[in-house]
Amino acid sequence: MRRLLFTGFNAFGQHEFVTGDTDSAAGFREINAPLSEQNQCTISVGWRYSALALGRKLYMRGLLEFEPHECVTLEAVDNIKALAAGEAYCLVLLHSGQLYRVSIKIKTELQAVRLEAPPRPNSATKRSIFGTTKAQPGSPIVEHIACGSHMNVAVSSENAVYSIPSCLHQFPGRQFRVKQLECGHEHAVLLSRNGDVYTWGNGLRGQLGQSVLKTEETPHLLEALAGIKITRIAAGGWHSAAISAFGDLYTWGLNCSGQLGIRVMKPGGLLKEPTVYPLPQLHDLPECSCSKNQESSSDDCAPLRVFAGSRHTLLIRRCGGLWVSGWSKYGQLGKRSDRQVEFLDAFQALERIRLSQETDQIICGPWATLLCVES
Amino acid sequence: MDPILIKLAKLLPRLEDVEELLDNEVEARYILKKAISFMENCESSKCVDEEEIRYLICALVDRNWERIHTGHFSSVPLNIRKIYAIGCYFKIFFLLLESTDPGQREICSGILDEAQLLGCMEDWSELKISLMQYLDDEKVGASVPLPILMPSTRLQSTCDIPQMEAPSLNEFKTQCFTPRQPTLLLNTIKHWPAMEKWLDLNYLLQIAGNRTVPIEIGSNYASDEWSQQLVKIRDFLQRQFGSEEGSQEIEYLAQHELFSQIPALKKDISIPDYCTISGDDPPGAVDIKAWLGPAGTISPMHYDPKHNLLCQVFGSKKIILAAPEDTDKLYPHDSEFLGNTSQIDAASLDFEKYPLVKEVKFYDLLLQPGDCLYMPPKWWHYVRSEAPSFSVSFWWE
Repeated sequence: MRRLLFTGFNAFGQHEFVTGDTDSAAGFREINAPLSEQNQCTISVGWRYSALALGRKLYMRGLLEFEPHECVTLEAVDNIKALAAGEAYCLVLLHSGQLYRVSIKIKTELQAVRLEAPPRPNSATKRSIFGTTKAQPGSPIVEHIACGSHMNVAVSSENAVYSIPSCLHQFPGRQFRVKQLECGHEHAVLLSRNGDVYTWGNGLRGQLGQSVLKTEETPHLLEALAGIKITRIAAGGWHSAAISAFGDLYTWGLNCSGQLGIRVMKPGGLLKEPTVYPLPQLHDLPECSCSKNQESSSDDCAPLRVFAGSRHTLLIRRCGGLWVSGWSKYGQLGKRSDRQVEFLDAFQALERIRLSQETDQIICGPWATLLCVES
Repeated sequence: MDPILIKLAKLLPRLEDVEELLDNEVEARYILKKAISFMENCESSKCVDEEEIRYLICALVDRNWERIHTGHFSSVPLNIRKIYAIGCYFKIFFLLLESTDPGQREICSGILDEAQLLGCMEDWSELKISLMQYLDDEKVGASVPLPILMPSTRLQSTCDIPQMEAPSLNEFKTQCFTPRQPTLLLNTIKHWPAMEKWLDLNYLLQIAGNRTVPIEIGSNYASDEWSQQLVKIRDFLQRQFGSEEGSQEIEYLAQHELFSQIPALKKDISIPDYCTISGDDPPGAVDIKAWLGPAGTISPMHYDPKHNLLCQVFGSKKIILAAPEDTDKLYPHDSEFLGNTSQIDAASLDFEKYPLVKEVKFYDLLLQPGDCLYMPPKWWHYVRSEAPSFSVSFWWE
């Protein structure tokens, strides 16, 4: 039985909780959703609404147009594969590779998104004997979507990258596969199957991982991580994170609320702020409590997956421990036993939470964290 | 509720004042509607949902803080900055409903300053000024009085650019502005009340001590150790000018629009008539910025896009200029932020690292109290304070 556990900003009834038993660990509460084993469940959490898909059905809840607790149910023509909850609309990707968008209001519908065709690799356009250009193949098959407040990105099965609806970039080569695509407020991070990280968008707060702060219109290889095989990435509001096959964690970008998990002290003990780290910073994580209990090497607690919200970052370690850093004013990081603070500036364990590294999922909203766990 | 607070609450925006701002702002419309009706009914003690509305207002402020920090500040839509400012006003009122003790007022005063720095408060200046007065009720005194600086006598120094004794408007236009000739204008601001008043740092402390301002830490903004922080002017004054001799890091109140934040200080200066001479008709707005710091603050070699009059109130500044024609030989930084800043240290040239600099013609001068330096657009300048210094710059198109 799968359960959805939530913590964070919910002032608009973005999530409806199971009544009765509210005593979930670390301040998480269970969401009332009709999950079943048959249907794949997909979730994306926006700031004022949440979107949940089960099979072909799409449910949106929250402050959609006038009042909190508004609710809309739609049905797509095929099963829904992925959602990306943006500000003005939610992107909906079907298993068929067709892309739709839904405006966030009460009376709304799924509208097909027409992507512009990518430029052909060779400029010589094939012409038929009658001189007209050959018909372009149909709409691209979309495989990955992500969005932030100023960005809407899609990647097609032919490795074309779209700033919806225009084509930004075409990755060359048939071997190139995209493993993961994530978006911050105004930057995007892409991970290829062979472990390379590409970034683009606004990098004036260090989001892109390059030593020079600037805006890049198209994907650029993150040089500082070139040669290191990266296995997972995350994009927060203005920060990014990556984990390597060696189990190393890197974070970069804006550290205004501790989201990079790097504690910065000045000689006088004053916290230096706000701080931008343009280049990926390698972390030396605190030892996990489980490594004290039994005979285990530090490898058993190496970071495995990383997730990020607007100003918070979560980390699953190999042992199943959940570690958190960043802004916690709205409960984004759950409840800890120590006194409640507005932010954590170094990674700390969320005690009482153990995740299964195989099946459990984490979904971050801008100010929220959602666990999808097998219980 | 405190009668003064009730009076202040009447100055808060009404729904009809903000309706236009909220057209496409779903969450701001919902939250501000609730907050406005709450405050309107507050007097008649029909306050309901205080806790919930306070929470929503905080969320609105934090949410719009994030929107203001997304993209270039200059391209943030004005309505977002207005909503942020209005949210801050309501947040302050909810905090004052909780308590009005000095600690709480200090928190509120900090929020007001942040609203001033990030938000757009033009439409609600009456509320701003009344609220500022209310929050600053208690006088700020220094535990140990700050020094009163001595007026300095004019030093003899070399000056590589033309000097003019308080030129007339026409002289300025024909000899400086039109030919784009950097010029040292001697004794042009002698009549400013600031020339005498500001020497007493306790006066600045009185008027401005409670305001929060952005301070640059570290001597030079292009260095890696540099950072920026929001601090209260009183803490900054105590640290940098107080009697305690410390191994303090150099802090610099630089390029800040202090005079729109603190209207009382603006009375001590006046916009020089030279700023009315303009290629545009009618002349555009003049940006007034304050530059206050101890000896040793450095602005590395950089240029600004507008006409610039740098006026010296107290202390003196060593300035090195270079012409726009030499830009290619001055090694500007690559990044978008520092593209107008040179990598060279103009005070100690390194020809080995930057050989082209040998061909650059530099102009040295000393800017002294009462004088202004006119710099045409895109002229490179390096500035170092030789003593505790207060300058005011005027930028215009």
